[in-house]
Amino acid sequence: MRGAAVLAGLLALASVAALLRGQIDASPAILWQGLVTGEGPGALILDTIRGPRVATALGAGAVLGLSGTIFQTLFRNPLAAPDLLGFNAGAGLAIIAGIAFGIALPAPVLAALGGLVVAAIVGALAWRRGSGTPALTIILVGLGTGFTATALATFLMTLLPGTAAAEAQRWLTGSLAARNWGHAAQVWGAGIALTLLAFSQARPLKAMELGGELATGLGVRAEPARWRISGVAVLLAAAGVAVAGPVPFVALMAGPFGARMTGARSPAARMAAGAAAGALIVVLSDLLARSALPGLQLPVGVATGLLGAPYLLWRLSREMYKGEL
Amino acid sequence: MRVTLLLALLLGLAAALSLTTGPRALDLADFVTALTAYDPYDPAHVTLMAIRLPRLVAGLIAGAALGVAGTVMQTLTRNPLADPGILGINAGAAFALLLGATALGRSDQAAIALFAFPGAALASVAVFALGGGMRGDAGPVRLTLAGAALNALLLSLVTGMVLVRQESLDILRFWVAGSLTEAVYRPVAEMAFLALAGAVLALLIAPLIEALSMGADVARGLGTRPARVQAGGLLAVTLTTGAAVVIAGPIAFLGLMAPHLARNVSGAALRAQLGVSAALGALILTLADVAGRIILAPGEVRAGIMVALLGGPVFVWIARRLRPGAMA
Repeated sequence: MRGAAVLAGLLALASVAALLRGQIDASPAILWQGLVTGEGPGALILDTIRGPRVATALGAGAVLGLSGTIFQTLFRNPLAAPDLLGFNAGAGLAIIAGIAFGIALPAPVLAALGGLVVAAIVGALAWRRGSGTPALTIILVGLGTGFTATALATFLMTLLPGTAAAEAQRWLTGSLAARNWGHAAQVWGAGIALTLLAFSQARPLKAMELGGELATGLGVRAEPARWRISGVAVLLAAAGVAVAGPVPFVALMAGPFGARMTGARSPAARMAAGAAAGALIVVLSDLLARSALPGLQLPVGVATGLLGAPYLLWRLSREMYKGEL
Repeated sequence: MRVTLLLALLLGLAAALSLTTGPRALDLADFVTALTAYDPYDPAHVTLMAIRLPRLVAGLIAGAALGVAGTVMQTLTRNPLADPGILGINAGAAFALLLGATALGRSDQAAIALFAFPGAALASVAVFALGGGMRGDAGPVRLTLAGAALNALLLSLVTGMVLVRQESLDILRFWVAGSLTEAVYRPVAEMAFLALAGAVLALLIAPLIEALSMGADVARGLGTRPARVQAGGLLAVTLTTGAAVVIAGPIAFLGLMAPHLARNVSGAALRAQLGVSAALGALILTLADVAGRIILAPGEVRAGIMVALLGGPVFVWIARRLRPGAMA
């Protein structure tokens, strides 16, 4: 319980810090004045400059973190995250394809379609008759499918004119620059609906975590449950990718980090902790990326990449010593 | 013998295609006259000798080097998914090139090129150490994910650097594009020499690598010292990969595909496999370069992208065939 309070406190602190820090720092007093009166520089920061950006960061981080936690629980492997499984790459490819071919669908729909298509491909390719599919096969097939999606996205980018290609490149890194309330509403709207769906699956997920056979023994039909839960988790990741780009490693780090901080055990509690941890990681990374170097705003994906790559390496060496890998 | 003939024939065909394909359609008769009676005022001759031929040669060398690098890596780690691109060695060389070019400016290409080798060496040592390759029991998942992490880390650093220093973007476009377009301006001859040194080293220590691939204990029993063989193998990988990155930029998946194809053709003996894999690497890269020139003519798609479009599905195909027991 104390851990959960600390996590919530950190999240609140990080959000306030992200509102205060920027090219022009604001004092808490100015922000407070803006909040109460709705006028002055504080209101401008809250309404248009940093408010929507922080709200989008919180939402995107939460859905990515939740998605990662669900996959890690479902496949019982801390390395099973939508970024490593290629789903984020698929969502990114769909959005680039939308730009390249002028497909008039909103970005979240495209991202969801791309993520689902890649998930279906990975599921179909990794599926093995009879015995349950090993998580490591899914991870490898997912990685390869992600490579293919990235290659296709790079190929499509050569079809775009120069400025559009540069914009697409920035987008593919994962960026929260110039987000407005529309983005925030989008990720929060989709996120809340999908989160409700995800928590409605907490019971079958708990059974699935024991393994397919035990789940069947507990009265859960394993294969449909796996597809249903995966579908919700892919859509969650796509909702995040649609507003923030395929920010690397957030979904990978959030689940273990949240569970570690809060000591959460049940899948539902871990999902909540993972969502909060994802939000914290994205808000802090964005804050770091835009204030680390004066006068320069790096995209958030650079910061999560720099944080996440060492984490993945550390995780690998741990799994190695545990003899899991 | 039949295999050698067939490969030579295919390489000849690919070379002919590469010389004749492009915005200006030329035929081989032009090439023959350009060789025998070069006319510096004939645009066809200039195109062939100053653009197409260097590009063809660069592609052949880079492709062969990556074929060798991939074969050595896959045997050394007993990992069918090893590739300089997937494991981040390309990225290490490219990042070091970027650093070198930023530090030295664009004055001295050959000096900048030298940066690629320490970059490739550091990256290969890092990925093998982190992925457990040094213990000789690196599982494909572990090594591949260590490579993914290294790639992501270096990509973040490169993106950051490019955003911090605008001029790096031009350097990035020049050095790190994964393309043979700029090959004319690269120190191809020097790199060919280094790649050849790497390939010869690989051929020399091939029996030792084979012994090591049966396990460190067996290798010791056969009188080889595992650490030395690993160091030699990594040196060969560094020389070939570094040279390929300097010539063509980071090209992923070629080192994955060529050895797999080669194994089907040449059998298991490593020396034969190295030769066939080098030829196939050269063949695939040349054909990818030609395809890239056709697909968006008169524009072109970088050869690295064409190879990756093919290589991603191949990766999935190999991953699917791994038995669960061979995974960890």
